[in-house]
Amino acid sequence: MDKQTIIVTGGSRGIGRAIVDRMLADGFNVATCGRGLRPEDLDEAVLWVQADVSISSDAEFLLKAANEEFGPVDVLVNNAGVQVEKSVLDSNDADWDLVMNINCRGVFNMCRAALPDMVQRGGNIINIGSISGMVSDPSMALYNASKAFVHGLTRSIAVDHGPKVRCNAIRPGWIMTEMAEDGFALARDPEKAMADALARHPVGRFGEPRDISNMVSWLASDQSSYVSGECFTVDGGMTAASPLNPGLF
Amino acid sequence: MMLEHKVALVTGGRGGIGRAIVGRFLREGATVFAADLTEHGSLTAHDADGSHFLKMNVASEQDVQAAMADVQAHCGKLDILVNAAGIEIEKTIEDTTLEEWNQSFAVNCTGTFLTSKYALPLLRAAAASGTSASIINFGSYDGFIADPGLAAYCATKGAVHALTRAMACDHGPEGVRVNAICPGYVDTPMLQSFFTGDGSGAGGKTIDQLQQAVRDVHPMRTYGTPDDIANLVNWLASDEARYASGQLWVLDGGLSAQVQQMKL
Repeated sequence: MDKQTIIVTGGSRGIGRAIVDRMLADGFNVATCGRGLRPEDLDEAVLWVQADVSISSDAEFLLKAANEEFGPVDVLVNNAGVQVEKSVLDSNDADWDLVMNINCRGVFNMCRAALPDMVQRGGNIINIGSISGMVSDPSMALYNASKAFVHGLTRSIAVDHGPKVRCNAIRPGWIMTEMAEDGFALARDPEKAMADALARHPVGRFGEPRDISNMVSWLASDQSSYVSGECFTVDGGMTAASPLNPGLF
Repeated sequence: MMLEHKVALVTGGRGGIGRAIVGRFLREGATVFAADLTEHGSLTAHDADGSHFLKMNVASEQDVQAAMADVQAHCGKLDILVNAAGIEIEKTIEDTTLEEWNQSFAVNCTGTFLTSKYALPLLRAAAASGTSASIINFGSYDGFIADPGLAAYCATKGAVHALTRAMACDHGPEGVRVNAICPGYVDTPMLQSFFTGDGSGAGGKTIDQLQQAVRDVHPMRTYGTPDDIANLVNWLASDEARYASGQLWVLDGGLSAQVQQMKL
């Protein structure tokens, strides 16, 4: 079988990089992008395109580059995202533009660039939403709202562009990255904070980027050929539990 | 007054939330039957409030049929059925006995089934008179997300949510609306029992500290009162809500709108 081609936006690090590496291992041609230069440790088989998904011409350029290198794109993973930790009251116009342009317009731009081909020959779009688009993280107002947009757009694309195109979203919970570790280090009592946060995860650990790439791999495969229009939570069971402190009772 | 000329039956009508609903319905001008196991329900004292007491175990088909016959004899119709009777077993499934499991379903699910089943002819009679007949079930936010150590309770409430939608589909054409209210933490004997267990508090915290800690987790920084629930029950029971059906109305002070609140 010919190699399939996948585009993963925001693949320089974190969850995006884990998806890039997993899809390479799954035998895909992988193209990814970021606003900066190609990361030095990126596998040389990966096509790196310096692109800002919030700019529609960049999104089109990314598609064209992938087409030229590998041929038609089978799977698009919209992973690129930013977060601004502010309430509505503290958010300014620049915050709105940053979060909405990347998290919302970026997903829209990429889908619009990929869909004309996908509705002809078939395709599969996987968006990275967030549990924060379902339940609210405090002081993350624009981020929370932007992820709800992703969930809504996921359903719309599935409805409008089936049967040729499948579209699903993954809602990660707390995925342990260097950024999250720094957060714990700043806590008044880092050990206690870590224990408290862990107690809220029924599986007894924090998420890792590969927990998300595992799900991407499944959604990108024929194993999920009847799955469309859904948002899947991968959070170690956290949002299945009440937000009340588990140590209370 | 929003409920003049309406006849209502409230199960668990002498308990924490039920008693507030009965009181509100009476103030809104309804004729109210308060059904419960005893005249004082889960509370200790009961002042005569003008409601008609019906001794009823909601899990007993005989009791339910007898109660509906009473309503039929006195009023000939029923506009509002509120299924507020409920019990809570505070255990994981491993610790829950089969008897406790069955009892949870008997009261929380079978009770809702039986009262609705035998109220339907009376509700149809009300709907036929041109008003809006309404069943209001009690789900819980625990039917969506779990509190630890409440497995059977969570399961029964999830079942009530599904039953609510099913009944709304089946009986909407007959003019009967069916909704469920899904309370979060409401100050009732059930909640106090959940807080205190054997009365000594839990997790090294006093009862007062526990209560404050629970309030602090809520975006509204308080938990609900039975009157907060009665406010919505009253609206859903009234003709103001004549287009509202098949919905699960979460009323929890914003508790379940949040993701887990890490203490960092």
